[in-house]
Amino acid sequence: MRASSPTLMLDTASEHLYLALVNSQGDVIDDVYRQGKNDHSVTLMPAISDLLEKHNLTPSQMKRIVVGIGPGSYTGVRAGVTVAKVLAWSLNIPLSTVSSLALIASGAQEGATLVWHDARNQNGFYGLFEVRKRQLIRLAADAFGSMKEARDTLRFQREINEGKPNPAVLFASQEIKAVENVHEVAPVYLRQTEAERNKE
Amino acid sequence: MIVMGVETSCDETSVAISKDGKTMLSNVVLSQMELHASFGGVVPEIASREHVKGITAVFEEALKQAKITAKDVDLVAVTKGPGLIGSLLVGINAAKAFAFAHQIPIIGVHHIAGHIYANQIEGEMRFPLVCLVVSGGHTELILMRDHYRFEKLGETLDDAVGEAFDKVARVLGLGYPGGPKIDAQAVKGTPSYPMPDVPRKDEFTFSYSGLKSHVINLLNTMKMKGETVNVPNMCASFQEAAVEQLIYKSRQAVDAIGATMFMIAGGVAANKRLRARVEETFKDVEVLVPPFTYCTDNAAMMSIAGYYRYQMRPDNEGLSINGYPRLDLTEND
Repeated sequence: MRASSPTLMLDTASEHLYLALVNSQGDVIDDVYRQGKNDHSVTLMPAISDLLEKHNLTPSQMKRIVVGIGPGSYTGVRAGVTVAKVLAWSLNIPLSTVSSLALIASGAQEGATLVWHDARNQNGFYGLFEVRKRQLIRLAADAFGSMKEARDTLRFQREINEGKPNPAVLFASQEIKAVENVHEVAPVYLRQTEAERNKE
Repeated sequence: MIVMGVETSCDETSVAISKDGKTMLSNVVLSQMELHASFGGVVPEIASREHVKGITAVFEEALKQAKITAKDVDLVAVTKGPGLIGSLLVGINAAKAFAFAHQIPIIGVHHIAGHIYANQIEGEMRFPLVCLVVSGGHTELILMRDHYRFEKLGETLDDAVGEAFDKVARVLGLGYPGGPKIDAQAVKGTPSYPMPDVPRKDEFTFSYSGLKSHVINLLNTMKMKGETVNVPNMCASFQEAAVEQLIYKSRQAVDAIGATMFMIAGGVAANKRLRARVEETFKDVEVLVPPFTYCTDNAAMMSIAGYYRYQMRPDNEGLSINGYPRLDLTEND
């Protein structure tokens, strides 16, 4: 598939580094999905550079950037969001955000799926989705809580914590949100810092 | 050559633009100090979150104030350590994305090299020089025989001097950050309380844990006896002893090296008593002290250090630069 002014998708909120060049329907031209070693900050920019170079694209030829905005690893998601903000701002490219949990859910099989990002001590970030007719439907808002709470209160057919995203399924959903002011974009953490919690 | 400096190693988000290693075109600093003050110190996770929030606005403002566009930038110089790793990585990722977007070279610069080069913004270094680096994390004497060549003569064996200021300020209930608070109190007092003698060994090493413990013990004893503490006098006494150690060791180093110039750098370089004592003590050599505005963390100094680093070794470090919570200045990279 030709790669004329594609959309760049990226997500660094999970253990996997995800990058994709997609056309306007969300069909994948090329992608990268690989397990990191807590090193997204080192590998992300070289991976973007390599991917664009492979398709003879200059940075300014990107038509749009879609970034996974969390919830997930704090340090991880900051890498992706920082890079997306700077690229979008300095090249004047439109930026959109998407839940990092929705990204994982988009690659799941049909049926209700709980996406779980472990945050230690039996707690985690989770979202409930369903893929139906190649569309992603959200069944509950992304949340932070205990594994027990999630399992007791939500009904789902399967539980996943990783998976390669399916951009076409995402593009057919309501999950991708266009950003009006790039300067205001910040990761979705869903949790205050420990210092703030202890203070209250 | 137009160099963009990017600094996010602690709680200031800063981007600056300089021209030919001399003229500052802009230096934008978004400080989080007030946010952290209520926690009694910098909270790393809060610092990282604030950096991401503010980063592009600071980039934009730096270009705007410099009256240039992104295309005019020839080199990006970003702080790669030492510092809070989560904070460092925001600046590093942002700097890499900017360098990639505009296809320009990027280098990682040591934070302390930046503090040292704050002296070059309004002055001119002459070699060989000895620089006293004093901050919350550093107390060391650095020898430079040329631009961007750092040799460590000695450092603290325990606490950094800035750490001792912060600790003493805390036990006196003066709040955070301690350095400026003690400085302000000391001006109103006289050094009337007994303090330990300056360690007069012929080594360029420092020690601040003894002085710090002495002040804490003294305060505890006075409290038990029901004596009132004269805070300005206590601050003046502590500060005098702290500064005297810095001056004594610096003098030794300057004489041993036969240095042409003496400089101070880092956050504690803003201390008024230290600046006065430097002026009194080093009348026989050239002296550079950084302007007050460049003593605290800022990207202006990173951009100047980056310029000289690139003059000495013009290699593009590329997009795999990492951040380092600890980093040795004398590795010279």
